[in-house]
This record gives sequence, structure tokens and C-alpha cells, in this order.
Amino acid sequence: MSNGISGISKTIAAIVIIVIIIIAGVVAYVYYQSTLPKPTLTVYALWSGTEQYNFEQALGNFTQNTGINVTYAGFTTEQLLVSVPLQLQTPPYDVDVIIIPWTDWISENSPYLTTVNDVVTESDFPANIISPVKDGSGNLWAAPFKLSGKPGFWYRTSFFLDNGLTVPTTYDEFKNTLLPAIEAVPGVEQAIASGDTVGWPLSDTTEGFIMGLGGYQLQLDLETGTSVRNWTDPQVENVFGNLTDLLEAGYFSTPADWESQLAKLWDGKYGIYWQGSFITTLPEVQNVSDLNFFGFPGTTGVSGSVDYAVITKDAPHPAEAKQLVQYLAGADAQEIMVGQGGFLATNLNVPSSAYTPIDKTVVDFMGQQGITIVPDLDDTIGGQWQQTFWDQLKLLWTSPSTSTMNNVLNALQTAAIEQQGT
Amino acid sequence: MKDKNPFFFLRRFFNISRIFLIPAFLLLMIFMFYPIVATLYTSFLSDRTGNFVGLENYDFVLFHGVYPLINVPNLQQGMPPLGGLINNFIWIAIHLPVVVLSGMFLAVLLRDVRGGTIIKSIVFLGVVIPLVVGGVLFRFIYDKDAGVANAFLSLIGLGDLTRTWYAFADTALLSIILGSIWIWTGFGMIVYSAGLQGIPVELYEAAAIDGASRWKTFWRITVPMLRSTTIVVVTMTVLWELKIFDIVYVVTRGGPGGASDVLAYEMYNTTFFGRNFAAGSAIAVILTLMTVGFAAYMVNRMSKP
Repeated sequence: MSNGISGISKTIAAIVIIVIIIIAGVVAYVYYQSTLPKPTLTVYALWSGTEQYNFEQALGNFTQNTGINVTYAGFTTEQLLVSVPLQLQTPPYDVDVIIIPWTDWISENSPYLTTVNDVVTESDFPANIISPVKDGSGNLWAAPFKLSGKPGFWYRTSFFLDNGLTVPTTYDEFKNTLLPAIEAVPGVEQAIASGDTVGWPLSDTTEGFIMGLGGYQLQLDLETGTSVRNWTDPQVENVFGNLTDLLEAGYFSTPADWESQLAKLWDGKYGIYWQGSFITTLPEVQNVSDLNFFGFPGTTGVSGSVDYAVITKDAPHPAEAKQLVQYLAGADAQEIMVGQGGFLATNLNVPSSAYTPIDKTVVDFMGQQGITIVPDLDDTIGGQWQQTFWDQLKLLWTSPSTSTMNNVLNALQTAAIEQQGT
Repeated sequence: MKDKNPFFFLRRFFNISRIFLIPAFLLLMIFMFYPIVATLYTSFLSDRTGNFVGLENYDFVLFHGVYPLINVPNLQQGMPPLGGLINNFIWIAIHLPVVVLSGMFLAVLLRDVRGGTIIKSIVFLGVVIPLVVGGVLFRFIYDKDAGVANAFLSLIGLGDLTRTWYAFADTALLSIILGSIWIWTGFGMIVYSAGLQGIPVELYEAAAIDGASRWKTFWRITVPMLRSTTIVVVTMTVLWELKIFDIVYVVTRGGPGGASDVLAYEMYNTTFFGRNFAAGSAIAVILTLMTVGFAAYMVNRMSKP
């Protein structure tokens, strides 16, 4: 009997010892892990200035929560287009995550990227900004995490009130009532300001016309390629014809530096200006509460430039890179980013209370029934076509005529075929 | 006495001076010769398949695509865009004579003028200023609202002509060519100033004794004696014009509608944005052949009496 008790005691003692050893092992492992230096992720992006600052705020929060440091490396457009893809093809390299706005770049380089299906919940995002980075096999190659909305024509509320101007509800009202009324205001040079840089302000305006007069599906078709819709299609010609009419009538200004045009809008030299929501944080907007916008009358879509995060295939820290992308695509990080103003979240779970008042009006407008968010046309097609689009629009703006319009559309068609095939 | 050493030829080949050339030679091979050969090779391949396609890329960049280097239909109609190669020739046709003549004129004019050195330094500032900065300045100078060019037009009663000159297809190329004259004139002026120092004073004294007018002295003595200097100025200026990129990139990006496109910008655009390395290589080869061919011709001329 005593032998039996002794045997049980020994067994219990052995179990206790084993449990103690296991617990000690776990504690030691956890302690060891906590003392290991956390890896440092490397992120490449195009941003500088305010955009970089906002992004680094979100990265700081990520580091605080996870202990994972992130090094931000600013790259030029040319570097991201050419040298970074070459780098991705010849591992090893130091980059873990790349922030990029061009979906054609993501598709082309998908063999050198890692899918993000396991860290991104697709239903948290508008379908149209997910589809350009998802292939036919269901692989999701990028996480959308920042949106720049181009909701419509911006104006000063006081300018409209002082001059008895009203927001148009139809294109006819826009063309035949509002624009002549603005031009009749003393001191106004032209009704609509035209911004210039490399060309995107004109392309944003044109996208507004495409979706306003042709519907959002027309823009989506054009993004898909000439196999679906040609640039010489009658519907496209109709849109450009209307745009050309306004240009010929002199309602648009000559393209000039886009920020100085914003200052002139503020000074009452122009009445309205098609721009992205990011202008709300610019110093040229002297009083943001006096700033407002109206969408293209009757539009069914709004263009949005999306910044995507991709993970490189041979990332030095793949697990941590996924953590970062999951964080960036999540509502918490996006809430921090949009709180800085000027940009919108892609994650639908970000509460509207996170936005500044002016950004909230943009979000409400874009989220209303009947409005579809469509990826930015030229960022989606990208490459040389984008350069051609910008350049040809400058030509149309400065030499508007039916003949120029036909040449422009033919050039865009040729460039689209060269890039996207037939 | 003949060297009896059987390895005489090796010793001669590997003599010490040639060994010192090896590092420089290797660097040249790696960083100049190899890229040139690789570019030439790439220009004959298909960008999509990598197969040999002969002169297809050359045909494409010269005559096809959205912005061909030679836009034959527009050339026949005389309307922009004429093509990057044609625009380079237009650049040479306008810029070269103005720069050469104004450089020579300024050098002669400021030779014996009090304070001429200061004026020369001011003119030479254009050469010192980076072309990118020069381009930014042009954007301001030609701006409709803030530009000096338009302010001048308004001042002389031509206010109706004011416009943002580089923004329009019919004036974009001309405006940047004219702007670039200021940038490069200082180069010609300085080289000609150096050339003038080399002309013997006795020639001018003899001409004065013979009663030659200043005009005749200029044409019969100064200009012929500056022949080799002129060859240097022309060579350097044409090479500068052929490889022009920075100003176009900053001011117009080759636009609007390709109206101010040039070879170097189109090469950049095709390669980096079009990501068509084969077509970009073809443009690079055309540019290289033009610059090397012209430089060889001019150097050959310089060596002749």
C-alpha cells in the first residue's frame, strides 16, 4: 500500500516538476524573445513634405504598438518605375513594403510581390479599388490604405453668395447659367481655373467630365483597355466634344501652376476649380470654412487616387511586413492619417467622426447613394500612356478645336494600344 | 642592336607606361564601351520577346508611335508636333548662329571696354546656372501674369500679345530656344575672348598703317584668325543642342502635344515611362551616332590647316 502511495507521490512529483520546467521554459522563451532586438522594416514611397509627415505619424503609432521600427525611404517616380522593379528581380534587397499609386505597376510586378489576402479583408474596402489589384485567381497583391478624392469643382462660399451664384443641378445649368454668370462677375478673368504641373490637374478635370457626362462605367471601361472601349468611341467623343465646347468658349483658363491657381481662386480671379480633397490643407486656402465644392452635375462616379501598400516577395522581414500592411489597411492607422486632414480612408470602418469637417463633406458626398468611387484613370493605366494623356490635354486646353480634339483622341488611342494592346 | 630576348615583344607590349593605362582602360571598358555595345545590341531586339527584329525599333521611333522623331504628315503641313529629331534641328538652326554671332560680337565689343570683365562675368552667369534652375526661371519669365517677357510686351503697347508662351503648341519650342540663348551665349563669348588674345597685335597695327577700316579689319583679320575658335564653339554648341534635355523637362516636358519634344527627352520618356528599353536604346543610338559623327567631322576639320 505504502508502495502504491509512494508511486503516486512520485508520479505527482514528476508531473509537477515537468509542469514547472515547461512553465520556466515558456517564461524564459518569452523573456528571451522580449530581449531580442526588433527588426527594422524598410518602406519605399514617393512622398515628401506633409504626406510623408502624415505617413510617419501612422508609422510611429505602429512602432509604439508592436515595437517594430520602420525606416522610411523617399523615392522618385523614375526610381519606383525603373530601378525598384530591377531590384525586386535580383534579391536580396532591403525593402519590405512599397507604397505605390500605380495599379499597372502592381500587376506587372506581381511575380515579385507577396499576396496580402490573409491580412486584408476585402469587404472592408470599396470593390472598385480592390479589383485593379486582384488577379483572376483571386490573389490580392496590394492593400489600399489612402484615398485622395476628386469630388468636383471647389469654390468660395462667400464668392457665390456675394454674386448671387447657385450650385447647378444639371449640366445645362452649369454650362448655360453658372459659367456665364461667373464670367460676368467684375474682376473674374475666367470662370474655371486650370491647374498645371506635370499634367494631373487637367486629367482630374477630364475624368470629372468623363464620369459626369458618360457615367462611371465609361471610365472603368477606358481603364480596362481598348479591348473594351476605344478612345475614339462615340461616347468618349461626346464627352470630349462638350469639354472642347467649353474650352473654345474660353471658360477655362490657360493651365498654370496649380497652387498659384488656387491662390487666384481665393482672390476672385476664377470662380471654380476642379481639384482633389487635399487642397483643404494648403496655405492658399486662407479660411477653410469658406471653402466648398459641388460634384459634376448628375455624375455617377467620383475619381479617387489610391495609394497601395505591397509586400516584396523576398522581403527581409516577411512576417513583420504583413503586420505593417495589416495595420495600414486597418481602421486604426487610417483614422490617424485622415485626422491630419486632406485625405480620405479606404477602409469603410473608419468612423466619419475621424474626419475634419470639410473632409467629412467629401466623404459624405462620395458615400452617397448613386455615387461609385472609381480609381484614378491615368494612375490606373500609368506608364507612357499617362504622360501622353497629360501632354495631349495640355494641347487641347491651349488649342481647343474639333480638329485638335480628334487628334488628341487618336493619340490617346494609339498610346493605349501601344501600352495595353488591342 | 637587336634584342636577343625571345620574349622581347611581350616586354615591349607590357612596358611600364602601358601597365599604368590598364586601370583607366578597364574603367572605360566597363562604364563606356560595354554600355554602348549593350545599348546597340538592345536596340535590335524586341522589347516584348527579346528576339532579334533588325531595324524595327528604329523604324518605330523614327516614324511611328504617338510621338515619332520625324512626324512626316505634320512636316508636310508645317504644323507642330514635327518630331523630336526635327525639333533638335530647329534648335540648332536658330540657337547655333545666334549664340556664335552674339558670342563673337560680345567678345569683340567688350575686349577693350572699361568694365568689360564685369559685363562678361554677368553674361557668363547663364552658363554657370544649372539648366534645371534656368528652366524654372523660364517658366516665370514667360508666365502670363508674373513674367518679365509679358510685362515688357505690355510696356511697349503689345499687351494683347501676352500669353504663357511655353504653354502653347505654336510657341513652346521657340520660347525655350530663345530662352536657352541667354544660357549659352556666355560660353561662346568666353571662348572667343580667349581666341582674341591669341591674335598678334602686329596684324592690327599693319592693317591700321595700311588704312584698313575697323569693319575690314574685323572681316579680314579677326574672323579668319578665330577660325579654330569658331570650330570649337560650333562643335560644343551643337553637341549641347543635340543632348538638350533639362530645360525641356522642366519647362514643357516636350509638350504640349509633343510640340517641344527633343531626342533626349523622348529617349527618357520612352525608356522610363514607356518602359520600352529597346525603343529607348534605338533613340540613344541615333543620338550617339549624331553626336559622335558631328564631333568627328569637326575635329577632323580643326586638324586641317
